[in-house]
Amino acid sequence: MLDAFSRAVVAADAKGSPIGTNELASLRKYVSDANKRIDATLAITQNVSCIAADAVAGMVCENTGMTQPGGNCYPTRRMAACLRDGEIILRYVSYALLAGDPSILDDRCLNGLKETYMALGVPTANAVRAVEIMKAATVAIMTETNSGRKMFEGINSGSGAQCQEIAAEAASYFDRVISSIS
Amino acid sequence: MKSAVTTVVAAADAAGRFPSMSDIEAVKGSFDRASSRMQAAEKLAAGIDKVTADAVDAVYGKGTYEQANKDKCARDIHHYLRLINYCLVTGGTGPLDEWGIAGMREVIRAQVLPTVAYIEAFTHIRDRVCVPRDMDEQAAAEFKGLLDYLINALA
Repeated sequence: MLDAFSRAVVAADAKGSPIGTNELASLRKYVSDANKRIDATLAITQNVSCIAADAVAGMVCENTGMTQPGGNCYPTRRMAACLRDGEIILRYVSYALLAGDPSILDDRCLNGLKETYMALGVPTANAVRAVEIMKAATVAIMTETNSGRKMFEGINSGSGAQCQEIAAEAASYFDRVISSIS
Repeated sequence: MKSAVTTVVAAADAAGRFPSMSDIEAVKGSFDRASSRMQAAEKLAAGIDKVTADAVDAVYGKGTYEQANKDKCARDIHHYLRLINYCLVTGGTGPLDEWGIAGMREVIRAQVLPTVAYIEAFTHIRDRVCVPRDMDEQAAAEFKGLLDYLINALA
């Protein structure tokens, strides 16, 4: 498992040279953006059940057969498993976002996930759709383009407009999830 | 690789929970110290050859030794300083633990090397750090802390 700092270290070690001024420039940017990163992580952790529930509900609404007998979200036990997986994916995305590196997401969540879903008969096309909705919701909350309560409301530090870059980074982690299970 | 952030994330993952406020406080704490750590890393990277040469001279003193011998000593000191540079960047002892200290004792014993000489070299480096000529006080504290960590592992 790596983070932005240890990723730089592994790259430098491969060359056998110490980390100097040039390599430190991007890490200094990472540190100077730390507050945005923390706000963005909180945007996920404080809205987990909302994001996951909306995504699964959206997926089911588009495929109403899923909750009927014979559907993949029938009975509720299987729908609950779906909600749980949504939260697990969000958890690993929040770790990756905090660390500034996708390795924890790859190693501990995505590695073997597609095979597991295929073995369990989970329809991956629907799973991908749920992840897409979670991505859209997460980005909207971070950039304050969501309807409802705004992330920075009543807080006079930061705004959604300043979180574009970090929201794009979060979106890239969701894209990783999508490409690994599709 | 153990670093300030990965340690926190690994603990959260083991418990199966989202990053909590205390996790985030811990990460933020390491970000707050990051600028002095990076300053120390930058200065060390810039002066690593000079510091190594200085330490080797201090260890060998005025006696006459084979140059090949001294070169190997310099190589090793340079290697450990590079790992300390990495530790300063990550904010944890991961690089030293994984690439420097794991197996070090066995290798040193197998080659019948005197660890005292290394301890002498790193103690010399630690005592020579001058504030504010080399780096500022907080940066020097981070650097010296890691040198002490290595010295304890060698002792």
